[in-house]
Amino acid sequence: MDAVTSGSGGARAIAFTGTWREYLPIAATNVLLTIVTLGIYRFWATARQRRYLWSRTEVIGDRLEWSGTGKEMFVGFLIVMAILLPFFLFVQFLFPALIARGKETAAVGIFSLFYMGLIYLGGFARFRALRYRLSRTWWRGIRGGSDEPGWNYGGEYLGRMALTLMTLFIVWPWAATRLWNGRWNHMSFGPLAFRTNLDADGLKRRWAAVYLVPIAAMVVMMLLAIPVGASIVGGSEEASPGLMVLLGAVFLLFYLIIPLMTLHWYAKFYRKAADSLSLGGLEFGFDARTRDWLKLFLGNIALAVVTLGFGLAFWGYRNWSFMVRHMHLYGEVNVSDLTQSSTHAPGEAEGLADAFDIGAI
Amino acid sequence: MSRGIYYDGVTAERHEVSVAATDGTLSLTGSGISPIDVPASELQTMETEKDRTLLGRAGHPGWRLTLQQPIDPTVASLLPRPGRYGGFIDRVGLPRATAVLAGVAAVVLFVGYSAPAWLAPIVPESWERNLGTAIVGDFGDNACRSPAAARALEAMAARIEPDRGTRAPIPMTLIDVGIFNAAALPGGQVVIFDGALKETPNPDAMAGVLAHEIAHVRRRHVTQALIRELGIGALIRLFAGDIGANAQQIVSLNYTRANENEADADALVALQRASIDPRPTAALFTKLGKDSGGFDSVEWLNSHPRSADRAKRFAAAWKSNARYTPVLSAADYRAIRVTCPEKRRAEREAEKE
Repeated sequence: MDAVTSGSGGARAIAFTGTWREYLPIAATNVLLTIVTLGIYRFWATARQRRYLWSRTEVIGDRLEWSGTGKEMFVGFLIVMAILLPFFLFVQFLFPALIARGKETAAVGIFSLFYMGLIYLGGFARFRALRYRLSRTWWRGIRGGSDEPGWNYGGEYLGRMALTLMTLFIVWPWAATRLWNGRWNHMSFGPLAFRTNLDADGLKRRWAAVYLVPIAAMVVMMLLAIPVGASIVGGSEEASPGLMVLLGAVFLLFYLIIPLMTLHWYAKFYRKAADSLSLGGLEFGFDARTRDWLKLFLGNIALAVVTLGFGLAFWGYRNWSFMVRHMHLYGEVNVSDLTQSSTHAPGEAEGLADAFDIGAI
Repeated sequence: MSRGIYYDGVTAERHEVSVAATDGTLSLTGSGISPIDVPASELQTMETEKDRTLLGRAGHPGWRLTLQQPIDPTVASLLPRPGRYGGFIDRVGLPRATAVLAGVAAVVLFVGYSAPAWLAPIVPESWERNLGTAIVGDFGDNACRSPAAARALEAMAARIEPDRGTRAPIPMTLIDVGIFNAAALPGGQVVIFDGALKETPNPDAMAGVLAHEIAHVRRRHVTQALIRELGIGALIRLFAGDIGANAQQIVSLNYTRANENEADADALVALQRASIDPRPTAALFTKLGKDSGGFDSVEWLNSHPRSADRAKRFAAAWKSNARYTPVLSAADYRAIRVTCPEKRRAEREAEKE
């Protein structure tokens, strides 16, 4: 048997076979042990969670395997802390010291440099987290990885982020797509390189909507607010319900309309991004729409609320199964070509990404 | 004999194999591969489930053997037990590990909570002074100074602490910021903000405030707060702070309720000893309590005990048979209060010219 073909006979090439009943004991003991170790167990908890989720993910007839350990993630975290903590403490003292001496400009300068350093490390960490996850993911005894250490990516990330901030996020579709390419074009599985050439075509309109819909909403609200404003100027007692309406409108804008429009954009971004990705003869696809994402997030929140917080332990499970259920694989893998990865297996885990709390994709 | 699927970790080729166990060795045979013998010592059980057991081999990354149920008992006897929770938890079992870890956690929490109080007296005062100088310096343009004010402040402090000359110095500085506050800072410094002076016409009330801050310094509460914040709050405070921070942020070290009560008790003793009337200080707290909706008093209300309770405590310390004398003459206290306004006026005039 030289090639396995995806999607033959109507079966999905990638499928999630886990059940919440099976995962419940893992989630429960993870929560228990994380509490009694004052949080230290969370690295081992993450490893157990991933071992389960990966092993219940079938890719073209074979299960994935996660080989990362809690110990290596913990050590990665310690290394990052040993580097970052003195830095944080130094800035924490330097900043008030400069303010107290009336050197506000120097203080602002130091802080800007500090934040630039943080953004650089954030980009570096995202790259390393992806590389680490691939290097610990096995399929048919073969793993992924990357030969790039990620330092260059950190620089690219800082530059594109700076440009994005300077243009008030207008160029974000271009920056985000280039950064996606910058990460994935350096990743590989076995001897096969991931290839992607994502561009901003078809993403610009949704990004414009992130700006325009809130503005339109604001105009509508302003028109509605004219009678309210009049009642406030009138100085009557009835002003307070009017003010409540106004506050409600602002709340709506910032907590509902803007996040929704951003989600609307990201839904398309991830569909396009996955479509652009290939690995050897395999093409990827992703079909989650905005309402699917919304259902996932609202479901997560509802679950956490009705279980008084315990449901948080199921967020990772729900997110992973969501990703797998919406992912597609097309094409075929020539198994005899798929030999072991020669990339270096990074040992320091994703401590950096953990420290900054950055997600996978 | 058991059946299994084998990957060699070199290619992704799938091999169906028969697995047998003889003399502590696992033997794999199948079409398309030459027979493989694995010593039991190299075997790793990655996972056991209802329908399968996943094995790995030490020193051979990617070497995977999936055994299908039912597994031959002689094969099963070679397999090590899989890890589940990780590390020592698997050895001692979940219930015992949980109990031990919970005990350790309780001790850690208790020590962490109480450590600042017993560590603070051990920290040499000179270290803290250096740190304090490094953090706040001499306040630059924010400080208001005049020889008359310095003399008057010194006289007030000497009434509060008769043995002041023989103890570690506590520098006192007036700060030209309009917030109603006074504070003890790292390095045994006490600062009084102009806003507090403006709102406190009675020198005896200011003596109560100063006595409270001096008590914080002497009791090493500042050091305790530093240890607490360095230990837990350092990272949080770094992110919580914003660049537009003013002097208020420098003095936002938080004392515990217990520290505040202790400082109040010391202040009452000091006022009593110096024959200073505690009622003006009580009146000041009453005023703070009434202003509780006001912006400036928020800081006080958060970190200090309820103002009304403190007012009662100070008022109750008044004795009808005691002979109280003002801490400073009206002229001396005025010298303190006008320092910052005069500095501002001088700066305005300098600007005009």
